[in-house]
Amino acid sequence: MNALEVHNLRFSYPDGVEALRGLSFTVAEGERVGLVGPNGAGKSTLLWHLNGLLPEILPKEPAVTVFGIPLIQANLERIRAEVGLMFQDPDDQLFCPTVAEDVAFGPQQAGLSKVEVRQRVKSALAQAGACNLENRLPHHLSQGEKRRVCLAGLLACKPRLLALDEPTSDLDPRGRRELKALLKSLPITQIISTHDLELVVELCPRVIVLDAGQIAAEGPTVEIFSDEPFMLKHGLERPHILLHHHPHPAGVQNNKA
Amino acid sequence: MTIEMASAGSREIRRLPPGLKLAGALLFTIVVVALPRRDWLDYGLAGCILLLAMIWGRAASWKLVRRLILLEPFAAGVAAMSLFQQGGLEIFLSLLAKSTLCLSCVLLLGATTPFSQILDVMRRRHLPGLLVTTLALTYRYLFVLHEEMHRLRRARQSRAMGRRHADSWRGQAGIIARLFVRASERAGHIYAAMCARGWKS
Repeated sequence: MNALEVHNLRFSYPDGVEALRGLSFTVAEGERVGLVGPNGAGKSTLLWHLNGLLPEILPKEPAVTVFGIPLIQANLERIRAEVGLMFQDPDDQLFCPTVAEDVAFGPQQAGLSKVEVRQRVKSALAQAGACNLENRLPHHLSQGEKRRVCLAGLLACKPRLLALDEPTSDLDPRGRRELKALLKSLPITQIISTHDLELVVELCPRVIVLDAGQIAAEGPTVEIFSDEPFMLKHGLERPHILLHHHPHPAGVQNNKA
Repeated sequence: MTIEMASAGSREIRRLPPGLKLAGALLFTIVVVALPRRDWLDYGLAGCILLLAMIWGRAASWKLVRRLILLEPFAAGVAAMSLFQQGGLEIFLSLLAKSTLCLSCVLLLGATTPFSQILDVMRRRHLPGLLVTTLALTYRYLFVLHEEMHRLRRARQSRAMGRRHADSWRGQAGIIARLFVRASERAGHIYAAMCARGWKS
């Protein structure tokens, strides 16, 4: 079964800017797909559509289907339980006074009992490697810790599809490396929107290149990223990892396989 | 973090159950509000009780006084409305005394009890969920907005070439306006993040 099917998705903002111009693609269950493109390409707008946050009034003819469930108003709660959306700014996502309360938010909204919520919080924090942060206040965390807690908040809802918006944008090299390992360890379908092309090479065997609200290319990551004229045309640069010979290019080889 | 609250007081006062402290503060406030006008002796007595609590809890500090001075103009502004009626001065002074006592009590509670614990007590006492959520969001984003305000101020000062103009009223008003726009944008994002995790409005 496909985890995600997007068919002829169009969206314009109220000011008339056409953000998405007829996008169509699929993502298979268990796949990890990169979503890249220049600023303003429509990456975040697309991710917001996967969770039903956009458009404000959902169309009767759905353009998005998640695990066979069409995204219409009647299915909104089910879709939001299936899709975990990580926002670009962790401070937008961590809205509760403590980490434990924030991670518990999703399960509480799903109507789980206190014992179940507690179990979900424990297991999600452990999965995200954030057990030690449970009683901390979000505004005292580092950016890397905030990202972990954001991820724990999503995992506590047990989603089957993760849509991550710029997950490494504000991380130092260590935080980036840890988050990369964490994402690699999760057996969940993932769509990763990012400017970090090396992360895409290392994590995603397939990539979708978005430009001006349209899909400019879709296919094997290394093949598309190696096409320098294409990359430059779409405001991207061939990642460093593909420019030089690496003595241990395990990530690249694994992705090719 | 300059606006961090619960950072004062002795171990004893910090270890008291937050529910007890909240109930005590509520009772104190109700009693002070219910005291008759011009009852200066009772105001003094209430002040002494509060002062003793502060001394016992080792929470009396200049930080608390500074916070009180910061909030006092708002209370004085409201009390000043009574100056336009007969016997206004006495009513004004009574209101000022009462509001000062209540504010001090709330500041003492805030200084010795983490806000998350107060929210927890409110939740357990089944106070309206929307009220608790609103208070929780206000507390969470107070720090974010405070940091944003400092970033805006620093950015302004860094390009002001040392001119005093950067700190003028006009400059401050610009920062407040920008902060309002950012807060409004962030409110939209927070609501979306809540909906994304199943919030049912």
